[in-house]
Amino acid sequence: MPVAIHAPAPDADTGRRRPAPPTGRNGVRRDSWPWPYLLVAPAVAGGVFLLLYPLLRAALISFQHFRMGELIRGGAAFVGLDNYRELLATGEFWTVVLRTFVWTAINVVLIVGISTGIALMLVRLGRRMRTALMSSLALVWATPIIAATTIFQWLFQSELGVVNWVLTSLGLDSFRGFSWFANGTAMFGVLVVLVVWQSVPFAALTLYAGLTTIPVELYESARIDGGGAWQIFRQITFPILRPMFALITSLEVIWVFKCFPQIWVLSQGGPDGATTTLPVYAFKIARALHRYDLGSAVAMLTVVVLTVALVGNLRRMLKQEGAET
Amino acid sequence: MKHRLLAAAAALVMTAGVSACGSGEPPAADPTGAGPAKLTVWIMDGSVTGELIKRFETEYEATHQGLDLDIQIQAWDGIGERVTAALASTDAPDVIEVGNTQVAQYSSSGGVTDLTDKIADLGGADWIPGLAQPGNIDGRQYGVPWYAANRVVIYNKDLFAKAGIDSPPNTRDEWLADTAKLDEGGDQGIYLTGQTWYVLAGFIWDEGGDLAVKDGDTWKGALDTPQALAGLDFYRKLQALGKGPKDADEANPPQHEVFAKGKVAQMISVPGGAARVLEVAPGMKDKMGFFPIPGKTADKPGAVFTGGSDLIIPEASKHHDAAYEVVKALAGEKFQTELAKAMSFVPNKTSLAHVLDANEGTAAMAAGAAGGRATPNTPNWAAVEATQVIKQYMTAALTGKDAATEARKTSEAITSTLNSGS
Amino acid sequence: MRPRRIALNAAALAVLAVMIFPVYWMVVTAFTSTADIQSETPALWPAHPTTAHFATAVGADGFWTFWRNSLIVTGAAVLIALVVSLLAAFAVARMRWKGRGAFIVAVFAAQMAPWEALLVPMFIIARDSDLLDSLTMLTGVYFMITLPFTIVTLRGFLAAIPAEVEEAALVDGCNRSAAFRKVIFPLLAPGLMATSLFGFITAWNEFAFVNILIIKEQGKRTLPVWLSSFRDVFGADWGATMAAATLFALPVLVVFLFLQRRVGTGMIAGAVKG
Repeated sequence: MPVAIHAPAPDADTGRRRPAPPTGRNGVRRDSWPWPYLLVAPAVAGGVFLLLYPLLRAALISFQHFRMGELIRGGAAFVGLDNYRELLATGEFWTVVLRTFVWTAINVVLIVGISTGIALMLVRLGRRMRTALMSSLALVWATPIIAATTIFQWLFQSELGVVNWVLTSLGLDSFRGFSWFANGTAMFGVLVVLVVWQSVPFAALTLYAGLTTIPVELYESARIDGGGAWQIFRQITFPILRPMFALITSLEVIWVFKCFPQIWVLSQGGPDGATTTLPVYAFKIARALHRYDLGSAVAMLTVVVLTVALVGNLRRMLKQEGAET
Repeated sequence: MKHRLLAAAAALVMTAGVSACGSGEPPAADPTGAGPAKLTVWIMDGSVTGELIKRFETEYEATHQGLDLDIQIQAWDGIGERVTAALASTDAPDVIEVGNTQVAQYSSSGGVTDLTDKIADLGGADWIPGLAQPGNIDGRQYGVPWYAANRVVIYNKDLFAKAGIDSPPNTRDEWLADTAKLDEGGDQGIYLTGQTWYVLAGFIWDEGGDLAVKDGDTWKGALDTPQALAGLDFYRKLQALGKGPKDADEANPPQHEVFAKGKVAQMISVPGGAARVLEVAPGMKDKMGFFPIPGKTADKPGAVFTGGSDLIIPEASKHHDAAYEVVKALAGEKFQTELAKAMSFVPNKTSLAHVLDANEGTAAMAAGAAGGRATPNTPNWAAVEATQVIKQYMTAALTGKDAATEARKTSEAITSTLNSGS
Repeated sequence: MRPRRIALNAAALAVLAVMIFPVYWMVVTAFTSTADIQSETPALWPAHPTTAHFATAVGADGFWTFWRNSLIVTGAAVLIALVVSLLAAFAVARMRWKGRGAFIVAVFAAQMAPWEALLVPMFIIARDSDLLDSLTMLTGVYFMITLPFTIVTLRGFLAAIPAEVEEAALVDGCNRSAAFRKVIFPLLAPGLMATSLFGFITAWNEFAFVNILIIKEQGKRTLPVWLSSFRDVFGADWGATMAAATLFALPVLVVFLFLQRRVGTGMIAGAVKG
């Protein structure tokens, strides 16, 4: 997953909305023609040449007979929807799709749940403890994925790994020499722990930042009214932070869904396909079987699936941003 | 046009990148010929000792003025992807070593130089068939045989003496009994990783089974036959007599390094594995012995997978003639003799077989080679290896899953991979 | 309230311990002697601390070259992304124009890009533009991978700076670019740092494209490739592997600790937006 980034809440521009007399609607001048377009031009150019163009090539490949020979010699033939037909006909594809959804759901629920817990904890902590906890979160956040993945290989190593040692010491003798990476469920579990561990800091710190903006008086009056902790969270905290929750959840959905390097380095989608999610599946088909055509088809369907899953979010965004224009 | 446009755009976007990294790079080799040519050669990890390759490089550069030989050792992990990218590139490495189970796939994809008219010059008349045939597609020779090898058992003489075993086992039953005896205290009877699939292949062949069989025009995975399951059963018994991880192959960690620590009584390896042990632990000299993998009866050693490598010259190499000279040197008598001696490999020509006469490791190998077998003969076999289904099957079966069920699933996967077009 | 306080702090400590343990374990293993690493009972603290593993890691073939390559590629990519995204973020956060909404959605959608599927197209493009085996193409790809969220992030930080600040400068007679340079830019510094750090972490990690875009010139490979194939390099030497991982994580951690205060406050400011 891409590294957690700081992301603003969707109402990012409210800061400008205070009245400023010489300007137009929404407090900002309508800018003269060339400038905004000149400013976004480099970004658009980069996107067109380094993202859109390769993406179209990938789309084209998904409609071609494109394998090792075609990659080397060129001259791929157009085969229409053959690759998609082949893909959709295999049960494996649907298994992978289902697994990807399960994978995404488990991770995102854990990430958002744990982060919310940690954020609520941070607000209540004393200054020193809070700084310590925030620093540790920042440290985890900054640990590069490949380094983290390597660490997890070592933690869960079967003979000398510290996890097995701890479990055995706790009396769970069946974990002596247990091969985490050989058992589908165990491997899946290790990957969930890894991804959740890496993703929690961003979500927790962002949510904490959001929590600090809620006026203390709101809590106090709720408490006077006799609200319990859960009620306060449901009736005050969550509604106020709803946009932030929505944004974090959709970003995490994208990142977890697309998560690739962790899985690839740790399990290569194995054992026995137990950790093969859509991106891993696409990569495996392309790399191991040299079926670049089929791999591209998987990738195109991945984009479609993800877009459908997030279409509500995208539409809301367009509406909101559009309204400000 | 499209390309020009793109290049211009790329240049536009990346100007800063260019200026940032321009300084540190060596000037690109001039492909037009003037100045010293740089030849890139890819050799697989484990093929040659570091010392031998260094010597070849030095000597070759000394006799070829103005030539810079860049020999790069490639890891097996992900090699298919890298070789494909290299063949598809415009400036490929000039010589690439590819495994004999994979050379057919590359040769049939185009992008590999046809060396048919060089066969005579290379003395191809007595190449060993197990290497020459996979490199030959429709009568055209693309791969030049380099070396062959099959697996033997390398054992630690000290540990055998300690366990009171004075002669190596001749049958499977003796082998299991001896290994159990050796698996004592801190010592491991045998270091056999759970995913060493070609060892399993040998056991399956011994039982009369196979990895896949051809029926008319279609291939069928055969791991679920009773013979194949019996082979797995023996593998399981043997593997349990040591601490080899069930979820890894012999490269992770490199088994010669494990063996070099002196706590492992046996490992299954090409005889050259002994040379690699000595690189890590020179003290093991004279402490290693060899015997062929025992068969079911004493009169016939176990069947083994004949492994080996071919050399190819990518079409996209910019120095075809110079590359050919390197291939010729690597496949020629002088280097073949050195390679065979250093690594205990079988040289690429039958006429050179005599150089191995005095070598204990290769004697064991030659005894085993009588039962040498190959993987199913189809370009798609490389894809089966790449998908690692057999390795995953082995791990599943060794870690407690039902072998018959797993074998059926894996056989189906092999069937579908072998029958998909390329 | 006292027992609750204690329980809360205990819970916080537990979270802290769990979060930090893997990183801690990496560093400890890197300093532990091989004999101790291989003992049956792992020690939580190196009994015989050694730097031998670091020597092994640094002494491995090409370590410094890979390190340098990673730094060059990542640094250049982040720098370009920063400049390009600053311009775009300014247009989005401070200007009204037709197509702005679509642009924002496109930037969000760009985060969904299936980069693993673009390996082959990128390879073909690089080949046809004669950019194989060059760090330039790699820089371009990393630039594009980091760009979408640098735009999103910077836009957040920009939006957090009240428009009044800029208006005031304009009233004072500055023109737009001078106002930006003298007023906005200094206020934006923490945001720029945070953003560049996030971009840096992402690009620093990438290895799939290196594998396919850098073929013949192995001297141009980068650190993650080397680390991800560490077992080929070090075998079962976990001490050296952890030392290598530590060295790999080090630049990011150092930059992060160095910037942490400013990044922390900047992030909160950016996330909350006054």
